[in-house]
Amino acid sequence: MAAHNLGTELDLSWISKVQVNHPAVLRRAQQVQARRTVKKEWQAAWLLKAVTFIDLTTLSGDDTSSNVQRLCYKAKYPIREDLLKALNMHDKDITTAAVCVYPARVCDAVRALKAAGCNIPVASVATGFPAGQTHLKTRLEEIRLAVEDGASEIDVVINRSLVLTGQWEGSDFIKTSTGKETVNATFPVAIVMLRAIRDFFWKTGNKIGFKPAGGIRSAKDALAWLSLIKEELGDEWLKPELFRIGASTLLSDIERQIYHHVTGRYAAYHDLPMS
Amino acid sequence: MAAATRTAPRAREIFTTLEYGPAPESHACALAWLDTQDRHLGHYVNGKWLKPEHRNSVPCQDPITGENLASCLQAQAEDVAAAVEAARTALENWSTLPGARRAQHLTRLAKMIQKHQRLLWTLESLVTGRAVREVRDRDVPLAQQLLQYHAVQAHTQEEALAGWEPMGVIGLIVPPTFSFLEMMWRICPALAVGCTVVVLVPPASPAPLLLAQLAGELGSFPGILNVISGPTSLGPVLASQPGVQKVAFCGAVEEGRALRRTLAGQGLELSLALGAESLLLLTEAADVDSAVEGVVDATWSDRSQGGLRLLIQESVWDETMTRLQARMGRLRVGRGLDGAVDMGARGAAARDLAQRYVREAQSQGAQVFQAGDVPSDSPFYPPTLISDLPPASPCAQTEVPWPLVVASPFRTAKEALAVANGTPRGGSASVWSERLGQALELGYGLRMGIVWINAHGLRDPAVPTGGCKESGSSWHGGPDGLYEYLQPSGTPARQPSLSENLNYDTFGLAVPSTLPAGPETGPSPAPPYGLFVGGRFQAPGARSSRPIQDSHGNLHGYVAEGGAKDIRGAVEAAHQAAPGWVGQSPGARAALLGALAAALERRESALAARLERHGVELKVAKAEVELSVRRLRAWGARAQAQGHTLQVAELRGPVLRLREPLGVLAIVCPDEWPLLAFVSLLAPALAHGNTVVLVPSGTCPIPALEVCQDVATLLPAGLVNVVTGDRDHLTRCMALHQDVQALWYFGSVQISPEPTSAANPFFAEEDWP
Repeated sequence: MAAHNLGTELDLSWISKVQVNHPAVLRRAQQVQARRTVKKEWQAAWLLKAVTFIDLTTLSGDDTSSNVQRLCYKAKYPIREDLLKALNMHDKDITTAAVCVYPARVCDAVRALKAAGCNIPVASVATGFPAGQTHLKTRLEEIRLAVEDGASEIDVVINRSLVLTGQWEGSDFIKTSTGKETVNATFPVAIVMLRAIRDFFWKTGNKIGFKPAGGIRSAKDALAWLSLIKEELGDEWLKPELFRIGASTLLSDIERQIYHHVTGRYAAYHDLPMS
Repeated sequence: MAAATRTAPRAREIFTTLEYGPAPESHACALAWLDTQDRHLGHYVNGKWLKPEHRNSVPCQDPITGENLASCLQAQAEDVAAAVEAARTALENWSTLPGARRAQHLTRLAKMIQKHQRLLWTLESLVTGRAVREVRDRDVPLAQQLLQYHAVQAHTQEEALAGWEPMGVIGLIVPPTFSFLEMMWRICPALAVGCTVVVLVPPASPAPLLLAQLAGELGSFPGILNVISGPTSLGPVLASQPGVQKVAFCGAVEEGRALRRTLAGQGLELSLALGAESLLLLTEAADVDSAVEGVVDATWSDRSQGGLRLLIQESVWDETMTRLQARMGRLRVGRGLDGAVDMGARGAAARDLAQRYVREAQSQGAQVFQAGDVPSDSPFYPPTLISDLPPASPCAQTEVPWPLVVASPFRTAKEALAVANGTPRGGSASVWSERLGQALELGYGLRMGIVWINAHGLRDPAVPTGGCKESGSSWHGGPDGLYEYLQPSGTPARQPSLSENLNYDTFGLAVPSTLPAGPETGPSPAPPYGLFVGGRFQAPGARSSRPIQDSHGNLHGYVAEGGAKDIRGAVEAAHQAAPGWVGQSPGARAALLGALAAALERRESALAARLERHGVELKVAKAEVELSVRRLRAWGARAQAQGHTLQVAELRGPVLRLREPLGVLAIVCPDEWPLLAFVSLLAPALAHGNTVVLVPSGTCPIPALEVCQDVATLLPAGLVNVVTGDRDHLTRCMALHQDVQALWYFGSVQISPEPTSAANPFFAEEDWP
């Protein structure tokens, strides 16, 4: 994690001065995807980089220790070893940025990662995820318990009723959405959030992280997100401390694309290990 | 295996730097197409390649590598004649087809483009150096949309455009810096309404030739679209071919002006779209980040041909400059065929032009900021931002070239308009403000052909675009684009040239001196004497008069001999009256024209008597007065319908089409029908909110002066100014006033002096919120 956002005096004029032109932002969202593309080894390197930004996530009602364990191993070995070797990247210790689970599964994840012998952080959604409509007391307690269990990052669902009434909260990282909404990480929304992050940095010198979550499934999507960050915020944001992708199925598509890059063939379902 | 070992270290390195790599688009198909022509391009005429012998040829080069791609024949007059002949032959059939058949053909061409779009976009990008992404994602789809939109127009032509007929053969001249899309904007409406086209493209531009080939290969109707390549100097040759009814030109201001001068007096329609500079007005209430993207769209994305003047409100100057410079740092410049560049190269000429401008700006004290990922080799020029350029410096007066942005601050909206309008150019502009009222007000105030609000450079086939002031007088797209190629049914073919020997240096220079002309047997009461300027009759500056004779050669009376000073006074008076008249509601304008009509009616017998003295039969004279009254009433009624329309395009926003008055018009009336012509020319100009300086019939000016007596009491002073005198001399004087927006001339010699005569007494201005 980056240095904590120590916060500043709340100055609502910053917010009231913000102007967002919706059609213009939509146009920008379209353009930013069309104007950049990476091919060949650039694509492979970018995809491997994307792997290191993934918060490999399982947030299902039926999560148990066994599928959490599988997930943790996949986090440690996200890309088949032989593929990495072919790219001469096997010694780069490529893992996902974190594993993200429900509070009740934090213990399982910590144990599995320890067994795998790695120090990938465990992130937990907390505070009445995904609605956040529970009492402050239980929400705080939820965070405390998750941290006690070994979670080192907490995705907090903010109290949106406070936001909608103009009472803002601060954070080190902002996330597009819970991933459980009908519409999740979209480019136009991300553009507005990234511009806010940049403005905040210019005003205070604090770098706030960004995490799009939900609906990012293909390698192509991942590349577009990386290039969006590069274009709007710059290279200094392209590190796991400041950029994460919350995703569960993205990794397998990236692995497929890497397989294709290395071998020139498209992998069958059974060619790649499941998570 | 060799490839794998080469790959591996690079991937490691890229993994750390996360840099962009090359993303080349294969141009194999473009080369293969050039091979089908043996790398030797001719002209495409009458559905066939035309490759005459003994012609000069110029190389077509890749602007980045300098590699010779093909050689292109330069047309000569015979080739132009052959193309026009083909277009004339094709016209007979094409113009008489039912609209539905033409629609079908245009749709087929749209599909043809769709089938060969990769060839089109790679060829265009390869040869022009523009970013392939822009050609592929914008130009090619827009070309298809244009064909489809105009197919629909052709389909409904019989009902929607009843009473209009196609003009005939259209000559189109496209200069080097313009993409094939500029050609599409013009040929689509021309073909849709039944015209046939000869396009003169600059040498070494294969994309228009490819389009012509695609059209030709549809089989039916060869010869409706002919493309010849040759220098712009062939323009007059094309224009003077018998059968060519109209020439449409787009390009540089100077070239357009030269063409206008060469073609003056040939009775040929000429439409001009000149210059490429655009303007962006950024207020403090703007979404600055989005506005910065607007600047990128306008200049640094290979979308437009020209540079940008950027006006920034002082209160957000620093913030905007920071964001703009940060954004510039992320721009990528490179080979156009690379899928991940923002900007390609435009060849040596464009680069040198930019370089010269920057050097001159620097020498005048301007700050120059350049950034972006730009290859170091020579054909490229980096995105450039110029600030602190003193407004009075010579550099600030000239058109900003690609890829330059010249930023200057403004304090208030009023000042912004003054700065924005303080240039001879009036092409396009955008206003950035989240305050609706402010944005609209600025949009209304800008003297530009098209104004976008919170966007820049959006185009749609259904939305007419054009320019005002020096940027030209033609429209393309939408219904206005169709009328560019139509004429009222039954219009006679154009007259042969009358004025080849006209000398502009001496035309109307001397005023013949006039002396007393014998016994005055004038009528009673005596006709009004003096020039009607600023709402009253006044003595001419020269203090001399000219005699007017009746049909028997007797002296009818004297009228004032007007001169340069009188015209100056009249133009000034007209300008002073203009804001008040524009501000009047259409209803008020209609009422005043109605009152004038009533006054004319009361004067009927006196007017008829005057006309009778000039040899008109009483019955005819009465009819002329009656018709004049009717004309005034009719135009009064039309003042109410100004033609503003609200159109909803596929642009996430409505399009407001405004009709604005031109401003001050100069009108030179013909000798015939002294009253009716005067009224018929005056009424539409006034109805649409213009003010006028008018030279009445030379042989019979008195009825017009008679009408002025009523004008004096009914209309605001300065609205109508009537100057009598030597027609050619007065015409010359009026043409020398650059703030006279149009000059309608009906006179001794078929000249069309500058500023350009406009057939349409008003122009449209678009706002796209």
